[in-house]
Amino acid sequence: MNHSTSKTLNLTLKIWRQAGPDQSGALKTYTLTNISTDMSFLEMLDVLNEQLIANGEEPVAFDHDCREGICGTCGVMINGQAHGPESATTTCQLHMRKFNDGDTILIEPWRAKAFPVVRDLVVDRSAFDRIIQSGGYVSVNTGGAPDANAIPVPGHMQKDAMAAAACIGCGACVASCKNASAMLFVSAKVTHMANLPQGQAERSKRVLSMVATMDAEQFGNCSNTAECEAACPAGIKLSNIAQMNREYMKALLFSCE
Amino acid sequence: MVTVADTELDGRCPTGDIASRWEQRKRDLKLVAPHNKRKSTIIVVGTGLAGGSAAASLAEMGYNVLSFCIQDSPRRAHSIAAQGGINAAKNYPNDGDSVWRLFYDTVKGGEWRARESNVYRLAQVSTSIIDQCAAQGVPFAREYGGSLANRSFGGAQVSRTFYCAGQTGQQLLLGAYQAMMRQVDAGRIKTFVRREMLDLVVINGVARGIVTRDLVTGKFETFAGDAVVLCTGGYGNAYYLSTNAKTCNVTANWRCYKRGAYFANPCYTQIHPTCIPVSGDHQSKLTLMSESLRNDGRVWVPKTKDDTRSPDQIPEIERDYYLERRYPSYGNLAPRDVSSRAAKERCDEGYGVGPSKKSVYLDFSEAIKRDGEDVVREKYGNLFHMYERITAENPYKVPMRIYPAIHYTMGGLWVDYHLQSSVPGLYVLGEANFSDHGANRLGASALMQGLADGYFVLPYTIGDHLATSKLPKVTTDAPEFGEALTAAKSRVQAILNVNGTQSAEHFHRALGHIMWDNVGMARNEKGLMKAIQEIRELREDFWKNVKVLGTGESFNQNLEHAGRVADFLEFSELLAYDALYRDESCGGHFREEHQTAEGECDRNDDKFCHVAAWEYQGVGNDSVLHKEQLNFEYCHLGTRSYK
Amino acid sequence: METGSARPKAGLIDWIGLRWFFLLLSSSIGQKFVMGVTGLLLCGFLVAHLAGNLLLFAGAKWFNDYAHKLHEQWEFLIIAETGLFILFLAHIYLAFSTSFGNAKAREEQYAVKQTKISGRVIGANTWMFASGAVVLGFVLLHLADLRLGADGINLRGFKYTDDAFGNTLMVLKNPISRAVYVIGSIVLGIHLSHGFASAFQSLGLNHPKYMPLIKIVGKVFAVVIAVGFASIALFAPEIWRGYVPVSH
Repeated sequence: MNHSTSKTLNLTLKIWRQAGPDQSGALKTYTLTNISTDMSFLEMLDVLNEQLIANGEEPVAFDHDCREGICGTCGVMINGQAHGPESATTTCQLHMRKFNDGDTILIEPWRAKAFPVVRDLVVDRSAFDRIIQSGGYVSVNTGGAPDANAIPVPGHMQKDAMAAAACIGCGACVASCKNASAMLFVSAKVTHMANLPQGQAERSKRVLSMVATMDAEQFGNCSNTAECEAACPAGIKLSNIAQMNREYMKALLFSCE
Repeated sequence: MVTVADTELDGRCPTGDIASRWEQRKRDLKLVAPHNKRKSTIIVVGTGLAGGSAAASLAEMGYNVLSFCIQDSPRRAHSIAAQGGINAAKNYPNDGDSVWRLFYDTVKGGEWRARESNVYRLAQVSTSIIDQCAAQGVPFAREYGGSLANRSFGGAQVSRTFYCAGQTGQQLLLGAYQAMMRQVDAGRIKTFVRREMLDLVVINGVARGIVTRDLVTGKFETFAGDAVVLCTGGYGNAYYLSTNAKTCNVTANWRCYKRGAYFANPCYTQIHPTCIPVSGDHQSKLTLMSESLRNDGRVWVPKTKDDTRSPDQIPEIERDYYLERRYPSYGNLAPRDVSSRAAKERCDEGYGVGPSKKSVYLDFSEAIKRDGEDVVREKYGNLFHMYERITAENPYKVPMRIYPAIHYTMGGLWVDYHLQSSVPGLYVLGEANFSDHGANRLGASALMQGLADGYFVLPYTIGDHLATSKLPKVTTDAPEFGEALTAAKSRVQAILNVNGTQSAEHFHRALGHIMWDNVGMARNEKGLMKAIQEIRELREDFWKNVKVLGTGESFNQNLEHAGRVADFLEFSELLAYDALYRDESCGGHFREEHQTAEGECDRNDDKFCHVAAWEYQGVGNDSVLHKEQLNFEYCHLGTRSYK
Repeated sequence: METGSARPKAGLIDWIGLRWFFLLLSSSIGQKFVMGVTGLLLCGFLVAHLAGNLLLFAGAKWFNDYAHKLHEQWEFLIIAETGLFILFLAHIYLAFSTSFGNAKAREEQYAVKQTKISGRVIGANTWMFASGAVVLGFVLLHLADLRLGADGINLRGFKYTDDAFGNTLMVLKNPISRAVYVIGSIVLGIHLSHGFASAFQSLGLNHPKYMPLIKIVGKVFAVVIAVGFASIALFAPEIWRGYVPVSH
């Protein structure tokens, strides 16, 4: 048999509804019937929203864009797990075949002080932008770059940098952490740059500044529980946090910054 | 009958030796002194590769930049989804590449429907892009010794594609985003996220500002500046199902069109051959599998019609490797438009596979046998994983099923050599303009064009406009801002007022069906006329029956979507109209009336070797055609053969 | 977006050159670093303490000789005990301050929260504050039993003598004390099972080559410490049931 057999599901959904940032919210229950197991999770929400519009109820707001797992826009807590039960998968790439007929699915927004709810399942993740803004770059102006092959980057260093740079900025690490810590996100950028020759000039300044911004944005601290690593759809490893710790202490105690 | 303007459009291309045209033009461009740059404000709409790179570069030069994006962060623009790579004429592999060859391949790949001067410049600056991005810390793939790695891609016979695993677009975009964020920190860029541009403000014939809606609060805002740079991407979502992100839309481009910017070649749409096929009516988007898969996968269908056997039950002799059969020298690597049409041809003839019979096999069994599963996993593991997540089929065991899908739009707002539209002060970059790809884009060229425009073209050309046009200071108090604001507000209110029975989603899907069935991979006069009629009817129905709940003063995704659908319903008519007008086949535009005996494109250079740029005349009225003749002095008109 | 975010203004602290020290104790990573360093040093103390206490199994002479030699070096003891006190204080202060900060980082809780780590039941890592608090309580009791007090009477009212061996057995003979000591030792082990490897992570001392080993050593260390101390509480009073304390 080479083709998947499509089935249909009847589901109960409990979804966080909140009209705005300053309003209070609550879980609301909906039922859906005949959901194809070939649907993505977001397509299931699309069906719900069409049903709500037909019934005169405002649809559920949720963030999404590329729907192929790379833009990092989507992301909700599904039964208490960031992006749902499948590992290394964003919400948009999760398919309904991972659920069973008759299931109750609880859907909540990312919760963190630094990610205030905008509406329903939509949160404000601009704190991530402010962290990058405080140092997540190489200060090079357009036009002045030397030939790309002038500075060799050994294959293994490039691979390490690429693995860290793969972060999609979705915020699942923060959402899944018991402390709402952003360490995995910040460390991905710190190690991406620290592992490349291009990132050396600002190595110390970058980590000090990005961690200071992270703290100021009121993310929690790291308890080394590795929940972030398990929730990360982009496969960012916990070892990045260890490297960031090292980078930070080196910068704090031994650099001139 | 098409109304044609009396005068021909002037693309302001330099003349003389093609290799020195850009140098010569740069010499002639006027400069803006540093103290005047500080006094100038430039509005950049969109933060993809074009918008991000433009905003960062302009800010580095000293301009004040206001940057707008529809997403919740500049890092999420859809450039991020580009997988395969970015071309550059570096010739690192020593395999005979050069600026000339990249130029030639691009003009030929675009079926002689792009400007020679633009394409040559693109090939020239391509090398600087790689240097710039590597310096930013973009982790391009490297050989073990540390030098940059290249691969061949999308029907090129040289290896000129640079890549970052399967996430090249992501890494390049993050590079541009980080460069932008550096300027945000320096106070030179102000970012406005979750904003949708709803109108262009033109004062005395010059673009001077925009009207936006804050998608969180619903508040309308106006912004004034000395120039407006539009980097708002393509219009593939007119087809509803496409590989575009859900927020990709034509609204900003369309509103500029309505303010006098010409829309060029909207019928040039690219259908990508390797997408995961549609699985049901619920489908909300199509997912692209990187073209690089065709380096090792073999495309086939059964030799007998309506063959329901599973693929492993079909013996080798009963398989039709139709790309290898029809295009022996390029085989499975034939360009996108050619491969897509060949797949459609087989499926239309009844040889398609899968539940809907609308897909073909992409088979890796030979590559797995030859190189082993581990090697295949190393190269394509992430793509295979994605395929399995979506289809629940294991591509290591059963062949993938693929089908073409709308992917990229070569058409866009008309721009001259300076990337300025027909409205002075309005610049258009990246996929939003029509410029460099002609009638078909080659793989790994979109990233190149977006970054070329933003990093290395606009920063030079925009200064000339600012230095020469002696712009008076304007503020948002000018009456033109008030007028545009009222127009934008009343349009949103009009949608809310309809209070009908059908969702915006319903209309969008209906439009998609019309477009895919009649203005898709193959088009004919009858179908196009039918499409135009149906689009008009659907548009009327929309304004009578659309149902949008909630208010305009809140975060209302449904309202946003309805506004975009309303614009698609106007724009799609122009797309179909342009396809009807272009009575020839070229690249992504295939008219069934014009094909060779073997079913290939039959161009008509005598009548259509020009850019068709349309000028707005009011909704429902036929647009006026402005022609820009295309001359090929270096890359002579020829036949595009991949046999 | 704001510009120049999170850049502190220069102040007194910069003038006296202590910004680094301030950040060491106040930044997230600085705090984790100090937590890790103090934790590992306390682990070192545990090793020495367990090694000494295992002499309880060797008999009164061995143990009392060890105790007397230790107490004779009073200069060393003052420094060591002050050091230990500072380590504990820093470790405890940071436990409170990070836990407080972490709680503030998520005000609205999830209705349901599940781990995504396959095979994880209830991790020691989620109970670090709680297990730490239990260990703290146990340590205070332990000090009250055997370290603090005056005029031959400890804080719990037991009379103690110069016979350290006898004093210890006297405490452990009490069934309630004994249970508390066993439970304290086990909770300490739980605390260490996450804390040991975690300290390496916090110090940035990780390496793909050595991390698996560190994790195993961490678990083994936790078991050795827990079993070592618990076995003393469980078995020493039984083995030396007939011991007659030396009285003065």
